[in-house]
Amino acid sequence: MLRRFVIHEPRAVEEASALLEAHGPEAAIYAGGTELLVVMKEGLAHFPHLINIKTIPGLDTIEASDGMLRIGALATHRAIERSPVVRDAAPVLAELEAQIANIRVRSTGTIGGNLCFAEPHSDPATLLVAWDATLRLTSRRGTRDIPAESFFTGLLETAREHDEVLTEIRIPLPPARAGTAYERFKTHERPTATVAAVVRLNGGTIEEARLAVGSVGPRPHRLRGVEAMLTGQRPDADLFAAAAERAAADAEVIEERFESVDYKRHLVQVLSARALATATQRAHPRETGGD
Amino acid sequence: MSTLSHRPASTEPMGAAQGNGAQGLVGLSAPRVDARAKATGEAKYAGDLQIPGLAYGKVLRSPYAHARIVRIDASRAQALPGVIAVLTGDDVLDINPYYGHAIKDRPLIAIDRVRFVGEPVAAVAAEDPQTAAEALELIEVEYEELPAAITLDAALAEDAPRLHVTELLKPGLFHGLGELKPQPGNICYHHAFARGDVEEAFAKADIVVEGEYHFPAVYQYSMEPHTTIAQWGDGEITVWSSCQHPFLVRAEIADLFGLPVANVRIVVPYLGGGFGSKSYTKLEPLTVALARKARRPVRIANTVDEAMVTTRRHGMKAWMRTAASADGRLLAREVRCWFDTGAYADNGPRVVATGADAAPGPYRWEAVKVDSWGVYTNTSPAGSYRAFGATHLQWIGEAQVDEIARRCGLDALQIRERNLLRPGEAVRPGGKPLDADLIGDIQKVAAALDWGTPKPANVGRGLSVGLLAAGAHPVSTAFARLEADGTATLYVSSTEVGQGVRTVFSQILATELALPVERVRVQGGDTLVTPYDRSTGASRSTTLAGLAVQRAGQELRAKLLEIAARVFGLPEEAIELRDGAVWHEGESISYPDLIRAHFGMVGGELIGRGEVRPEKGTGSYAEGPVFWEVCIGGAEVEVDPDTGKVTVRKAVSVADVGKAINPRLVKAQEMGGWLQGLGNALFEEMIYDEQTGQILNATLFDYHVPTIADLPASFVSTIVENEDGPGPYGAKGVGEGALAGATAAIVTALYDAGVRVTELPATPERVWRWLRERDSAAAGGAQSARE
Ligand SMILES: Cc1cc2nc3c(=O)[nH]c(=O)nc-3n(C[C@H](O)[C@H](O)[C@H](O)COP(=O)(O)OP(=O)(O)OC[C@H]3O[C@@H](n4cnc5c(N)ncnc54)[C@H](O)[C@@H]3O)c2cc1C
Repeated sequence: MLRRFVIHEPRAVEEASALLEAHGPEAAIYAGGTELLVVMKEGLAHFPHLINIKTIPGLDTIEASDGMLRIGALATHRAIERSPVVRDAAPVLAELEAQIANIRVRSTGTIGGNLCFAEPHSDPATLLVAWDATLRLTSRRGTRDIPAESFFTGLLETAREHDEVLTEIRIPLPPARAGTAYERFKTHERPTATVAAVVRLNGGTIEEARLAVGSVGPRPHRLRGVEAMLTGQRPDADLFAAAAERAAADAEVIEERFESVDYKRHLVQVLSARALATATQRAHPRETGGD
Repeated sequence: MSTLSHRPASTEPMGAAQGNGAQGLVGLSAPRVDARAKATGEAKYAGDLQIPGLAYGKVLRSPYAHARIVRIDASRAQALPGVIAVLTGDDVLDINPYYGHAIKDRPLIAIDRVRFVGEPVAAVAAEDPQTAAEALELIEVEYEELPAAITLDAALAEDAPRLHVTELLKPGLFHGLGELKPQPGNICYHHAFARGDVEEAFAKADIVVEGEYHFPAVYQYSMEPHTTIAQWGDGEITVWSSCQHPFLVRAEIADLFGLPVANVRIVVPYLGGGFGSKSYTKLEPLTVALARKARRPVRIANTVDEAMVTTRRHGMKAWMRTAASADGRLLAREVRCWFDTGAYADNGPRVVATGADAAPGPYRWEAVKVDSWGVYTNTSPAGSYRAFGATHLQWIGEAQVDEIARRCGLDALQIRERNLLRPGEAVRPGGKPLDADLIGDIQKVAAALDWGTPKPANVGRGLSVGLLAAGAHPVSTAFARLEADGTATLYVSSTEVGQGVRTVFSQILATELALPVERVRVQGGDTLVTPYDRSTGASRSTTLAGLAVQRAGQELRAKLLEIAARVFGLPEEAIELRDGAVWHEGESISYPDLIRAHFGMVGGELIGRGEVRPEKGTGSYAEGPVFWEVCIGGAEVEVDPDTGKVTVRKAVSVADVGKAINPRLVKAQEMGGWLQGLGNALFEEMIYDEQTGQILNATLFDYHVPTIADLPASFVSTIVENEDGPGPYGAKGVGEGALAGATAAIVTALYDAGVRVTELPATPERVWRWLRERDSAAAGGAQSARE
């Protein structure tokens, strides 16, 4: 059961950062609480000081301008799923968000909480890595932007310093002739395997490909070897089959309670083939009759 | 997101019609009498109750699967401000602290030894739950680990560590299974029967199908975990508990603490689901012992992970072979199954016996041989869960029937039409013959599945049918008061566990008394007030307690007629009951006026009693069951060959209920049972670490229970009313059959889609592996054919 704790309600990010500094490891940021409170209830961690950042104004803004989609860390999954800005600028993200958890978790849980908790079975993390998004961290010492991929350093571990608050996720909007596809496989509460692909075409060839895999290992990461074998090639089923096979071999996969390593590698292969095909199709919607 | 298309078999009139004649409200989907209270939060559950001086209990549980307790030092916990009492094994040595309705093998708190991870070692009562939890951390326990047997195989091994000295165990108060003999090693119970010459039948068979199968331990998950309040005082014990069987709990508590049963009172508020997890005795002995030590009323409320180690469904290993002739006649079946009952028997022996009953399946055999064992392991105890026994074995037997059908060129419906038992045929040696039209039922399932029509690739359709020994011991009583204002109060001890029993009983009594449902009030179970009922489980309440209610109503009816005959000065035959009044032709006297005429004042009341007991014999297990519950279902599934993921496209249920007193409640039971069956077939499994005995998925994050998102795209439910049940108006129980039927139908549908299921749940990874094995076997076969 939950043990006793004190709750702090800062009005500004700097104040939250100061509280984190003052209370050290005894303090944790409390956003939606859908991860934090569970961990505390289960007795896996105890924080005598919770810093509720929901009292800080402006941290849940969602806007797109100058080729950049900016999502405040406090935006809930539900808010992102329903945001006209996201639906317009990054529909794949809106669809992804709609599939997360259940309505209760989506309307309470925040994207910042999802990313900072760094539970590896995360949907948005995988997509953000494929999109080369950056995460903005603020403390009393200043502000810095980190690429999503280097933010996740391991199982439940991030590059965030203890006194830093994640304030914003910055997504460069994909250029023309680029398509994104996101594939997940889920049988438990959280996804078992997640794959995101971005494909940019030039004429009949792949000018750039990005493939990110998540949930199967300690952290989401890009598969650069696969990306290299796709670049400059003509997209077809054989190419994607070979790429998917390589993705299965290259992905960092760990042993866990449920699915075995070889099955998870197999899932990476299936999802990669599907994601690459869909992303390619979306990269030239007119030619395939889509829109 | 799936959509739900609910196709009713017939149009159901809704709402409480005026009672007219004896069948008045029977067959109407009256709204649930508890719907408003539950929707508004007014309904009280054990966790909502407050009584003066209530203290809060928390339980310290064993971290080891098997260990000797060397020393417990609770002094620091005891000294914590706000702590009232700390209970350990030493505090119960003045009584015989062993209980268990089947076998008295379980101490109410660990004594010298722990036998599973999660076994209560100490309990704290404090002024608030927070303090109680903090006190647990201050209790020091020194353990000496012992070798543990976590799995069935480990427990059955020659040199396995023994959990109990089985020779010294005493039978419980209600095992109901004839003579219990001490068993060797870790065997808790053995149930066997045989008929015909099995060896000969297998020797002459053209087709033999044989296999080994595994069924996992499953958590019953009810929204409300077990919650109990106990109060000890002056030679009396009062318990408020989320329990299904208050009278059996009362007897066990009285026996444990050496009191007459009349001095023990069990009060049952609403339950937030049970599904068998709250059958028999669970938290009550520990809570009473803690209250006794604390000299204060105490509440213990389980969390989900505690509920998971309180009781579960038995994991099982089975070996089965089935013999048939080339033209598809089923000849013989032989079954050996081992049920993992965990560290204590709980309801294990009954599960073992019911599993044995279900093992042959409802077919006409020349020979059958079944051996079923319960086995102690160092894991949390296993007991009842909806459709136990049938759910364990039906999927196996039905998969073998389908394999035989394939080999002799019949389809799954044809082989069943040829071999299913007909009404009146013997199901097992001794006991009740078949009391249902299984062929008619299975044809309805097939029709709902559009049997025989073309289907897309990777889609399979499956049927399944089985039987479950239902009803438990047929003893129930009820009484009803018809008050001076013409309203009725019903006293009956069935637990409202969500199934709608209070609604159905209101309908029955209202029908007998020709009253609108709203004028009947049903009292919850309270052993001081409501009369004896054996239990709420085994699909028995409408059938047996409902019959007692009907009889109570009939006695009242007879009294009304008798009084009316006197007042009218007419023979009883000239009088009828209608709309809350007695009538002779156009003339009527309302019940209040009639009661006033009887007593000569505004007051008084009429009382009716109903009793149900075995009609012949003793009602024993061997002579039973009360009725055979039909476990039937159909499924259409789609398999993703890339990932092994299974989607149920269509769920079919047929509720062979004799008479549907409330069709909407019947369908709710079918749908709920089906969804649980889907969970048992595809998702649910308690995973124990084979070394430490820890449950690796003891949270609802890691243990996936089906949710609304897992509902099949379409659910078709048909109600069959042959009025062939022993209950009121020809009704027989419903509620369990859909679960076993659904689990097995999903397995047979997977079989049809090319997947040979040998272990549940059929997770995507397992399905993927089975498909790979099949494909490599096919490739190997093609290879050797070419050579
Ligand atoms: C039942 C369930 C199902 C789920 N299913 C999915 C799923 O399908 N896919 C998926 O991707 N996820 C899933 N999740 C995870 C879900 O997305 C997260 O629980 C949620 O987004 C966490 O957000 P929160 O605001 O509640 O975080 P909190 O619990 O408040 O915080 C989580 C952690 O992040 C830290 N933190 C929070 N915000 C910040 C910040 N701005 N700066 C620095 N640190 C911060 C906290 O200190 C804490 O350590 C599921 C969760 C649940 C409970």
